[in-house]
Amino acid sequence: MIEVVKAPPFAAVQDLGWGNGRAWGLPPGGAMDPLLLAAANAAVGNDRGAAALEWALGPGALKFGRRALVCVLRGAELRVEGETMEEAIAQVPAGGTVEVIPGATQRFLYVAVRGGIAVPPMLGSRSTYLPGGFGGHEGRRLRTGDRLPLGDAGRRTDRGMARSPSAEGGDWGAPVPAESKPAADVVLRVTRGPQWDRFDAGARERLFSSAFKVSNASNRMGYRLTGPGIAPRETATLPSEAACPGAVQIPDGGEPIVLMPDGPTVGGYPKIAVVIRADLRLLAQCQPGRRVRFREVSLEEARGTLRAPDAGP
Amino acid sequence: MSPRAAGGGRGDPGAILPLGEAAWTVVLGERVDAAIHERVTALAAAIEAERLPGVLEIVPAYAAVTVFFDPIGTDAEGLRERLAALARERMPGRNAFPPSSGPSGPLRPVHPAGARDGRPLLVIPVSYDGPDLDDVASRTGLSRDEVIRRHSAPEYRVYLLGFAPGFAYLGDLDPSLVLPRRSAPRTRIPAGSVAIAGEQTGVYPLATPGGWHLIGSTPLAMFDPAREPAVLLRVGDRVRFERIP
Repeated sequence: MIEVVKAPPFAAVQDLGWGNGRAWGLPPGGAMDPLLLAAANAAVGNDRGAAALEWALGPGALKFGRRALVCVLRGAELRVEGETMEEAIAQVPAGGTVEVIPGATQRFLYVAVRGGIAVPPMLGSRSTYLPGGFGGHEGRRLRTGDRLPLGDAGRRTDRGMARSPSAEGGDWGAPVPAESKPAADVVLRVTRGPQWDRFDAGARERLFSSAFKVSNASNRMGYRLTGPGIAPRETATLPSEAACPGAVQIPDGGEPIVLMPDGPTVGGYPKIAVVIRADLRLLAQCQPGRRVRFREVSLEEARGTLRAPDAGP
Repeated sequence: MSPRAAGGGRGDPGAILPLGEAAWTVVLGERVDAAIHERVTALAAAIEAERLPGVLEIVPAYAAVTVFFDPIGTDAEGLRERLAALARERMPGRNAFPPSSGPSGPLRPVHPAGARDGRPLLVIPVSYDGPDLDDVASRTGLSRDEVIRRHSAPEYRVYLLGFAPGFAYLGDLDPSLVLPRRSAPRTRIPAGSVAIAGEQTGVYPLATPGGWHLIGSTPLAMFDPAREPAVLLRVGDRVRFERIP
């Protein structure tokens, strides 16, 4: 059992989400930074898709009902019983309190506990779907006073809940890369979107030559970007069709919205490009005001980024 | 890379467009149209029946079917070619519905055009007590009873599921009831609200924001994550509304 003794401004239970509900409107959901979730889980001996706490915007504190191995990734200060840890991983005594103080550069951090957060799975995932108010812990952000069940620390957690190992946010075999320097623009690789042809050469050129700023109006459903307008040739929307996390939608105003894991499964805005899966977490971690740029890659190159790191040439 | 492999092909009927590195969208048309949608549901059923390796999810929409696949270990170009062949069989002017060659799908048999009677029919009980019913009546020039009668008369088609889990876009609405969305969307609409906008009607499955006109409510839970199945409708299903007190 974990008791939330001081809830941070934003925290919710997440695993790798769903991989079975797009046909009826359930987005893939799950961690905004699945690689970081996987790394935190691995550090405590969990399967990479075990449920953990996704945490943002400020400090908070948790009290552990039993001895527990905890990992907090990344860039946060971890205090156990008031003492700052030098490592991101710590053994917490029964009854011990853990404080987590996020750093400034990352938007989402993950608190993984050996055994995983054992909220009941819903539709095959322990993730919290905030727009629909279900999953995770009572379908909502954590509040002070919440109590969360922990899985059995003596056994490995069940293998993630994603239906396929490489379902959205799934098989992230690559090691956690070093953080890019905060000053540099974040470069996001994209493939051409299904409505690429609806944009003229000038709009395409602006997409790749401009820097865009992550707007304050960004959340788990989508990140709005401000920058030069990229209006399609015809402003008419199309009959709604499937969208996906990473899709760069262009509404009539011309400022892109990049869909995130809780974003709508269908939409009528033209999609000029799609951020490759390996890079979507880089955008997820951008604080408002951060500058991003797009770079085009081929579909083959995008798929190549998902291969296991030990695959030979 | 070839322009074809790079994607971004024109959205002409029959085009196969990439939605990222792990999905293909098969375009069957460019408008909301029952005949196009009939091809959409037939193609989705055919893809499902083929049980193609690596295919994870199939999302039928108004005029396109999107197939999500596992980008690791799937022959993406081979899948694209198979999807193109299946789509070609369903283009107008072809023998649109050849005898089924594969095993029947796990979830839904392939129905030929016009055989919609075989699709599941859901009757949704409605109390026509929505806060916008009077407004709809005055804007359409109809009496409340006539609005109710015209809303509950047709057998609707599920064109699309989206916006929220289990939200079904149902068409086609009686032309006399067609109104634009509300100019001021509500920030919270109760689950179970029955609403209309444009040529469509639907039921809000969850409490969400929304801009449709609320004409009634149903006690039926259109979405329940603790129930199996969580949703009551699939794209292509038929729906009727039945007035209850």
